[in-house]
Amino acid sequence: MTDATDAIAVPNRRGSSWLILPGIIWMALFMVLPILMICYVSFWTQTTFNISSTPTLASWKQFFASDTYTGALWTTVRIWLIVLFTTFAIGYPTALFVGLFVKSKTLSTVLLVICVIPFWTSFLIRVLAWRPMLGKEGAINIILMKLHIISHPIEVLLFTELSVIIGMTQIYCVFMVGPIAFMLGRIDRNIIEAARDLGAGFGRIFWKIIFPLSLPGVIVGAIFVSVMVLGEFATSGALSGRKVNLLGNIIVTQVGSLKWAMASVTGVILTVVMGMVIAAFLRIVDLKQEL
Amino acid sequence: MITDAAIFRIDGVTKSYGGVKALDGVTLEAGVNEYMSLLGPSGSGKTTLLRVIAGFEVPDAGRVYFQGRDITDVPAHERGIGFVFQSFALFPHLTVRKNVAFGLMHGRTTVSAAETDTRTQAVIDMVGLSGMEDRGVDQISGGQRQRVALARTLIMQPKLVLLDEPLGALDANLRGRMRNELRAIRERMGVTFLHVTGSETEALAMGDSVVVLDRGRIIQAGKPDDVYSNPASPAVAHFLNRFNLFSGKLSQGLFTGPFGTVPAPKTTRALEDVYAIRYDRVRARPLGSVTNGPALQASFIASEYLGSSVMNFFETPDGKVVEVEHHLSLGAPETFEARQDYILTWTPDQAIVFGQESNR
Repeated sequence: MTDATDAIAVPNRRGSSWLILPGIIWMALFMVLPILMICYVSFWTQTTFNISSTPTLASWKQFFASDTYTGALWTTVRIWLIVLFTTFAIGYPTALFVGLFVKSKTLSTVLLVICVIPFWTSFLIRVLAWRPMLGKEGAINIILMKLHIISHPIEVLLFTELSVIIGMTQIYCVFMVGPIAFMLGRIDRNIIEAARDLGAGFGRIFWKIIFPLSLPGVIVGAIFVSVMVLGEFATSGALSGRKVNLLGNIIVTQVGSLKWAMASVTGVILTVVMGMVIAAFLRIVDLKQEL
Repeated sequence: MITDAAIFRIDGVTKSYGGVKALDGVTLEAGVNEYMSLLGPSGSGKTTLLRVIAGFEVPDAGRVYFQGRDITDVPAHERGIGFVFQSFALFPHLTVRKNVAFGLMHGRTTVSAAETDTRTQAVIDMVGLSGMEDRGVDQISGGQRQRVALARTLIMQPKLVLLDEPLGALDANLRGRMRNELRAIRERMGVTFLHVTGSETEALAMGDSVVVLDRGRIIQAGKPDDVYSNPASPAVAHFLNRFNLFSGKLSQGLFTGPFGTVPAPKTTRALEDVYAIRYDRVRARPLGSVTNGPALQASFIASEYLGSSVMNFFETPDGKVVEVEHHLSLGAPETFEARQDYILTWTPDQAIVFGQESNR
């Protein structure tokens, strides 16, 4: 029997392997090569106006010796964790509603499309739209003052870490909602009824059945959000008034002032952090088995 | 308050979905330690009926009683009624053992870990799943999944177990074996099973009593042999899938149908005049032979070998298919020529005649 299956499988394998060739070429040219290049450039010697390929550790030492750079690393990690938490905290209940409690498939699709409507405008518009919302004379302050809930405008709303977090949460929440709602939508309703029939109340059913079955969705969502938040620079640039510097902002500034070596060091560190985060998430759930 | 031997009783239960009545004033009760099968075609409301009893659906009208208590407003997880799903609905992320122990671990009543372990093992042994405890439920066969579904329900020691086409997802061979096993397990546990099925053979074979449901109404209830030999209406005769049915006219003890006018000694009151004759009561004679009873000319189409009998299919000139069953214990089957006409006949006393003008 094995002979027969091999005979069928082998020509297939040989015949189909060229299908991934364009993908491999694309990835090699535009991902592997640039990453190797960044690693290489990070060891180049940088002078004020020039860069030479003489190998040195100077830029690496400078990164870890400077509070600005290590500070940016920790800010990135902190903002990432906070946004991951807020997108989960807002996204999970939303996904639970859309994916599980809405019985009609049509309605749940409509609700998911509504979640995507903000994406019809450009990323920068979505970020900048928060300014008239959060500003000192912005919509939120005006409404709160009109309602006499506050007498002076709340100033921490804009150009602070808070505004960056609010902005990022809004932009990335949908990436958490989507995968979770998808996994929840796939749960057989009979399973939940079976658990109820065996005497489990809603809390038990949620923690023992629904949440474990939705976990792959949470992981996929978390990976989406993590990758995007860790590489962010636009939201922090536009909403923090340059007070919040993420690794992404450092790269933008360094490239802007032609400090290629330092930009590369930051880039390598960012890539390593993302790699570790994704690896950690994939350890929690075996996605190969679940999807 | 238990006034009789009924374990559950439903009283005038009605349930509609968007104006369509799935259940229309259904009243039914089952005794302690009884195997009741509920037969009905798809769309007859049989699954809805089970879901109302289990508490997954709230009836629009009527009450549900369980062990003498009105449970109409009691939520499903507080009813203590077992439910076995057609698709089994096992928890896909848990092992066989955890699936079976789920009710004890996460149910209303808390049970000590030691007791959970003993009871889980006992039920797993009883349904014959020893050695499979730590497998995932996607690593076992369909029959084993069926056993897990049953064990998971039985471990809660319910007094009533509802089974929604429990054998529907199994292949024919396994279905036969599981039938015997279901009965044996039920007898050992001494609980009442309410088994919903669309298969007349399953309903007749398994139930101590059979209830026939059609379009949300119970159209007959009784012992299997009683239902089989005395269907209460043409619809029941139709669902039993053992009768050739002919429409015609019943008048003064005579039925006029495509086979001529014949005496109808045994009649049952019904809204329409229908003549029913069991497949195995019909005989095929060569064309031209003289019969003094009913005579129906039909051409032979094909035959089907069923092991213990042969089913012959004939077609009347107006395109109606008549089935003739020949039990092999009665001798070798006759052979018929395809596309040749034969005369089908039977003894009139063996027919069941339904009509508005009946003598009973």
